Amino acid sequence: MRRPLRDYRPVHVVGIGLHRFQPLSETTYVELGLTAIREAMADAGIAFSAIDSAYCGTALLGMAPSRAMLRHLGASGLPITQVENASASGSTAVRQAVLEVASGMADVSLAIGLDKPAPIRLAHEAAGVPDLVNAYASPFTHFALLADDYMRRYGVTAEQVARVAEKNFRNASKNPHAHRQKGYSLAEILSGPNISGPLTRLQCCPIGEGAAAVIVASDDAIARLGLSRARSVRVLSSTSRSERVYDPGADPDTELTRETLAMSCAEAGVSPGDLDVVEFHDGFSIEELLYVEALGVCPPGQAAGQLARGDFDIGGRVAINPSGGLLAMGHPIGPTGVGQICEIARQLRGEAGPRQHPGARLGLAHMVGIGSVCVVHILSAAD
Amino acid sequence: MAGLFLEGEPNPALRGQECEGCGRVAFPPNPYGCEKCGAPAAMLVDRPLAGRGRIVAFVTTTHANRRDLSVPYTVASIALDDGPVIRAIMTDSTGESLAAGDAVETVLVERAADEGSTDRVLRFQKREAA
Repeated sequence: MRRPLRDYRPVHVVGIGLHRFQPLSETTYVELGLTAIREAMADAGIAFSAIDSAYCGTALLGMAPSRAMLRHLGASGLPITQVENASASGSTAVRQAVLEVASGMADVSLAIGLDKPAPIRLAHEAAGVPDLVNAYASPFTHFALLADDYMRRYGVTAEQVARVAEKNFRNASKNPHAHRQKGYSLAEILSGPNISGPLTRLQCCPIGEGAAAVIVASDDAIARLGLSRARSVRVLSSTSRSERVYDPGADPDTELTRETLAMSCAEAGVSPGDLDVVEFHDGFSIEELLYVEALGVCPPGQAAGQLARGDFDIGGRVAINPSGGLLAMGHPIGPTGVGQICEIARQLRGEAGPRQHPGARLGLAHMVGIGSVCVVHILSAAD
Repeated sequence: MAGLFLEGEPNPALRGQECEGCGRVAFPPNPYGCEKCGAPAAMLVDRPLAGRGRIVAFVTTTHANRRDLSVPYTVASIALDDGPVIRAIMTDSTGESLAAGDAVETVLVERAADEGSTDRVLRFQKREAA
């Protein structure tokens, strides 16, 4: 019988680390990754030799990047696995680490997200099933079409959609790890350049480089290694799904997100309304509005209005993308989903400093990968 | 793009497929199997879809992320009269003549291809009132 995560032994996030998400630089991927991993080990208070396994989420680096990096931490012989799952590569690496600890096959596992910009080669372009648009339906054109449809359906303006980016830039202006730390104004966001339909450049996520690391551990490991229980964050659910066939005209990413969020909440035993902080895959501004509604914390067509009145601000009803999200924290692909877990853990520990959402106890992280796949984790603060 | 439509004047039909297992009508066609029920390709039968529909949403893209795409171009979501909702490129590259709800139809357009030759690609255009 299929059993959810909570039927296995508890898994906790015990260490987090980041290398800033930033434009392409001369920094090697090894340096990016080691920075994040060393920070996570220091945060947890453990040595590399205490880590039983490692999963590296990366989509663009090429074959076999991990040992060339991890050997500089003292080659312990630990099992290493690369995880490629498009934009959800990092989230999937976290999931694999969580599952391995939950099952008892590892006591401590490391998930890394790592990438540097490189040409993207999509396998499905060679699948032998062309359509009428092919490359013309680039991600920004795809999401611009969704924005056009949403605006028309609910009478929402382009300015209201752009306010997603305004909020996320405001959040990221207090995040030293963010790619875009300038708190762009609404006027700057709307002033262009235009990319597709209502989407301007600042409503499309920047793809740069970076790294993120998360260490997860069992209760046994926390006790044995003397780790801080107060700073550990429990992983309540880890849920992954792929696209099905939906009604004609329905957006597959939204429908896939809707069912994955519902399943993850059910597996965690939480109600969407109880969530305090959420990191959504806001690759394009419109996505955040679609996914807030898919989560069920806002009726269809009302996300723009509730955003405008501050419901989704830090300190609002539920803080959405307190890190700045993909739009402002950035989307270096592999690191993105791991970075979300870092932000949620930081918020639930009460260690998010100037962007702390008051009283954060329950958080959710969500990524969509082209294809499409969707990965959701729900975390809770230590008791 | 050949293989996606049936030559026919004035408005080519799209080469859709219908699954004999579950009845799903889909476009574009594939040589592998049914996305809904998993029936093998042998159970996917040709199902021409009339080259007519209505615009659900449309956007004009002014930024190209590939050198082989010239901007601006306009892509629409189109609800075909025969059911499926598809995406297609409009003949009106700036979208200035278009509105959501417009009736649209297929048209073949000559396009410059490699080494001075041309090929014919399928586009959608606004249908003139009868």
